[in-house]
Amino acid sequence: MTRRIRQAAVIGAGVMGGGIAALLASAGIKTLLLDIVPPDLEDEEKNDPRARNRIVRAGFDAMRSANPALLMHPSDADLITIGNLEDDFDRLSGCDWIVEVVVENLKVKQELLKKIEPVRKKDAVVSTNTSGIPLKSMSAELGSDFRQHFLGTHFFNPVRYMKLLEIIPGEDTLSEVLDFMADFGERILGKGIVWAKDTPNFVGNRVGVQGIVKAMQLMEKHGLTIAEVDAIFGPAMGRPKTAMFKTADLVGLDVLAHVAANTYDLVPDDEARDDFVLPDFFKRMLEKKLLGKKTKAGFYKTEITPDWKKIRKVIDPVTLEYVEYEKPTFPCLEAARKASGLAERIRTIVYGDDRGARFAWEAVASNLIYAANRIGEIADTIVDIDNAMKWGFNFELGPFETWDAIGVRRSVERMEKEGMAVPEAVKNMLAGGAEQFYKLEGGRRYFYDFASKFYQPVQVSETVVSLSGLKADGKTVQSCPSASLVDLGDGVFCCEFHTKMNALNAEIIDFMAQAVEYVDSNGAGLVIGNQAGGMPGAFSAGADLKFIRKLVDQGRFDEIDAFVRRAQAGVQAARYASFPVVAAPYGLTLGGGCEVCLGADRIVAHAELYMGLVEIGVGLLPAGGGCTNLWKKFIGSLPAAVTGIDLAKFFIPAFMNIAMAKVSMSAADARANGFLGPVDRIVFNRDYLIGEAKKEVLRMVDAGYAPPVKRPIPVFGEAGQGMINAELYNMVQAGFVTEHDAFLARRIAYVLSGGQVRPNTRVDEETILTLERQAFIDFLKEEKTIARIDHMLETGKPLRN
Amino acid sequence: MRDAYIVTSIRTPGCKRGKGAFKDTLPEDLLAFILDAAVRQTPGLEKKDVEDIMIGCAFPEAEQGLNIGRICAQIAGFPDSTSGATVNRFCSSGLEAIALSALRIMAGWSDVVIGGGVESMTFVPMGGNMPRPHPVYTREHADLYASMGITAENVARRYDISRQAQDEFACHSQMKAAGAREKGRFTEIVPTPATSYVIQPDGTMKRETFVQDFDDGIRPETTIEALSKLRPVFAANGSVTAGNSSQTTDGAAATVLMSKDKVEELGLEPVARLRLYTTVGVKADEMGVGPRYAIPRLLDMAGLTIDDIGLWEINEAFASQALYCIRELGLEKYMDRINVNGGAIALGHPLGCTGAKLCATLLANMRAKGVKYGVESMCIGGGMGAAALFELCE
Repeated sequence: MTRRIRQAAVIGAGVMGGGIAALLASAGIKTLLLDIVPPDLEDEEKNDPRARNRIVRAGFDAMRSANPALLMHPSDADLITIGNLEDDFDRLSGCDWIVEVVVENLKVKQELLKKIEPVRKKDAVVSTNTSGIPLKSMSAELGSDFRQHFLGTHFFNPVRYMKLLEIIPGEDTLSEVLDFMADFGERILGKGIVWAKDTPNFVGNRVGVQGIVKAMQLMEKHGLTIAEVDAIFGPAMGRPKTAMFKTADLVGLDVLAHVAANTYDLVPDDEARDDFVLPDFFKRMLEKKLLGKKTKAGFYKTEITPDWKKIRKVIDPVTLEYVEYEKPTFPCLEAARKASGLAERIRTIVYGDDRGARFAWEAVASNLIYAANRIGEIADTIVDIDNAMKWGFNFELGPFETWDAIGVRRSVERMEKEGMAVPEAVKNMLAGGAEQFYKLEGGRRYFYDFASKFYQPVQVSETVVSLSGLKADGKTVQSCPSASLVDLGDGVFCCEFHTKMNALNAEIIDFMAQAVEYVDSNGAGLVIGNQAGGMPGAFSAGADLKFIRKLVDQGRFDEIDAFVRRAQAGVQAARYASFPVVAAPYGLTLGGGCEVCLGADRIVAHAELYMGLVEIGVGLLPAGGGCTNLWKKFIGSLPAAVTGIDLAKFFIPAFMNIAMAKVSMSAADARANGFLGPVDRIVFNRDYLIGEAKKEVLRMVDAGYAPPVKRPIPVFGEAGQGMINAELYNMVQAGFVTEHDAFLARRIAYVLSGGQVRPNTRVDEETILTLERQAFIDFLKEEKTIARIDHMLETGKPLRN
Repeated sequence: MRDAYIVTSIRTPGCKRGKGAFKDTLPEDLLAFILDAAVRQTPGLEKKDVEDIMIGCAFPEAEQGLNIGRICAQIAGFPDSTSGATVNRFCSSGLEAIALSALRIMAGWSDVVIGGGVESMTFVPMGGNMPRPHPVYTREHADLYASMGITAENVARRYDISRQAQDEFACHSQMKAAGAREKGRFTEIVPTPATSYVIQPDGTMKRETFVQDFDDGIRPETTIEALSKLRPVFAANGSVTAGNSSQTTDGAAATVLMSKDKVEELGLEPVARLRLYTTVGVKADEMGVGPRYAIPRLLDMAGLTIDDIGLWEINEAFASQALYCIRELGLEKYMDRINVNGGAIALGHPLGCTGAKLCATLLANMRAKGVKYGVESMCIGGGMGAAALFELCE
């Protein structure tokens, strides 16, 4: 039997159910979304299908209008069919995977599963998205075939954006089913799989909530304020910007309280059970319905003054009144600011000697100890716990990686000195001479396995490539401070950027030219990709503006011209190289980063792709072949038999992409906007991206790659300029754009339409490249463009002048 | 010069672009039907008597191209000997076509001519399918191509036409139209076959026909409050909304004009004479002011004053420009004579058809009320105004 998910069903159309349905549909899976018939129907509504689907319809609509979007593209909703649990229940028999996401109530879930049992088709997988109810209690009454196909699939909210998927095997679940679902979750849905045991709240929430509640308790002990805690447990410590309490506001205080209480009740033997007891002020907040974002007031509250100014306030845990606050700091945070790298930052903070540092140390130490004590109980390996915290809570480092960062031996010594109970397993590890939880060897990552007391390789799919691992293994063939060329094996090389936000500078431009030459002599093909961290991360946020701004200041326009020429030549050299070049963008792929991708033979993109030519925001235009190659993407797939077409239909959307600095909200959206073409691919799992790009290169080589032939391309000519001039007049009159916007956009239209030529003329690519370059230089001579650049450099935000 | 007599003036309903009753009806079908109906409704007239057919159309391309005047003469079953022309003066194209037809008769060059207009804004959108503003001229003078919405905003802003006044005017137009429809006052409408594509049991579509006999853009339920909540669509901080602008519409209209000899030969009772027609140019970026200049010129030529005019059809391209023209012409005291059955805000503005459509409406009302003089006027994209004077036949 070949197991595949032809159709899935999601039961329960709440926030999580809607999110799961959206993800499935975005991945191209037909999905049935069901919820209950409203219990309060009027008599005349009882036979009205619309009324009977009211609840599921409301969930479906909320999912479609969610912000940030849950669907990768609005049209993905077409793959979702809605229905109710009475009229449409039999349709579950056509589903290969049924996931229940109904209310967290054991009895309700038991009854639902019992009803599913006779309906489900043979071999269909059934899973629960419960966050806390033990699976064994849910499936106890069910038959063995059902139990063999039953497991926990615990997604995190918001489903599209949170990478974590905890898979919880039931006692009887077939390993074939578990493997299939893990592969499906990882490869098709793009999630990171954590193997969790059937224990209360599984892995992420168990360890995460201990950390949060314990920190609240310690906050009171050390007399810190909420804002002070957040200043420490934010980006300084490798935690998300929302830190601890803003995250709690997002999650909802009621949800947090529910998880904490649930854990407390179900783990009577937990050595740190008291760490789940919420402080009094938290309980008083619950009573006052200060639940966080959903009630517009939680630990924080934003007030708006009559003149529309925002005032951010934080709650005083003693009085429960909201007060204004400044961003607090501590000497340890000031010192951490100067530290290089996250590990040193964390060390600086936890080993500092001020009030904040002592709090940070105690909070971190208690969470590390708690996590280590859970190995074997909630998960088998430290890798699962680290991944759960990274993927489910957006920590940059999991507990054991954090422990490595602060030094295992050093920290254990301090823990013991301060009377903390260090887990035996950790003591044993140190005693056995293992100083770290993780090590890199031969490009592979190993973790210390508590069970075998040996290092074991971190298991990852064969497609997962780790550039840092390869580099540690000496696979770098060329390198400069801004970029490296890494041997991916099989003759495929990866050109990796590693500047801040992977911004493109002169060094990268020159390096790429070298890389192309190197691969031409030594390789089969090239991947342009990197693995900078972060959510969503940045493939490349564009060109290094500082560099260009400096040249303008010095009046060295000739040098700028030469730089742009080199950039264009580099893109063209890659485009027409004798080997395939595949770009592997993810996350922010803006300006020059986008141009690099547009110039490649193919794009293999991560599903979370925020791609756009945003140069107009700093008063410029894409001049690294971006106008040329976007236009080619638009008209490149027309059959030769199609002639004399109205290029306006292509020109307007291509122009709008550039003139409105449109940024895609996903790879699917980038495809809809014309940035991705028919041969470009979308990969859901970011860890697979480089590996999939490599496969693409090899497939192209295998298929007998021949470089594209450079031919003149048809342009819209002056007709396009007239259209745009007229429309810009309207936009300026309407106050929708500024005069400088219009000035820039008119010139962009001029470039994109091929300059002074009649409509449908074929021009050489170099013609448009020349127009790009000339416009770029002219724009840099405009005061208002310089003001835009300076504003962006100072504030990170675009200026509309 | 001879007199040009109007014996028949009729129109199809005006239906909303893209979603109204005519969304699947080709403009050729609308026009051919109304031409045929015009002959049928003129006792004794035979198609072979019609020497020429002049059809106003603002965007004579695609379905409306290839000289729709001639194409539809043929489709409607006129003999080969009946010629046809397409006339374009944007929003007054239909009136221009009627005026040209009248001139032919007045000059003694023809005895029977049909003037009319057609526009399916569903099939050929505003601006046409392939707009191509001049690339060089637009660098300095893109205002020549200003969008109609911008011109409406310019009029509102330059001449202080408030949002509230526009919304009140729009609401009033809707109420008048709703009342007129309810009381059956649109006697100039001919029930018109409309096309619809109907899904069949086997999943294929089939073209079917139904009859449409009313203007489907009227909103009897609207209120000033509801209109006041709409967002400006053409400009940030603007005052022109979808609610106080004319609707984009599909429709056709036809008017049969004859010489006195032909009227007598057929023994007909003519409705009115087209006395005068004039056009005037204004600034392109405030084209809506057109009637404010065209109407005085018309009245001067006629030796009449506004007090002599019993009924007005002043096209409501936008409430802002209509209000401005009414105010500047001193017509506020005659609001009960202006657009008595509502205007384009409620009934729609099918561009090239509008001039012919308003003629049919004006004449129906003049006859119903026994009004001697009626004036039709409109503003014209690109910056013009047009006005025509009709005199009821005793």
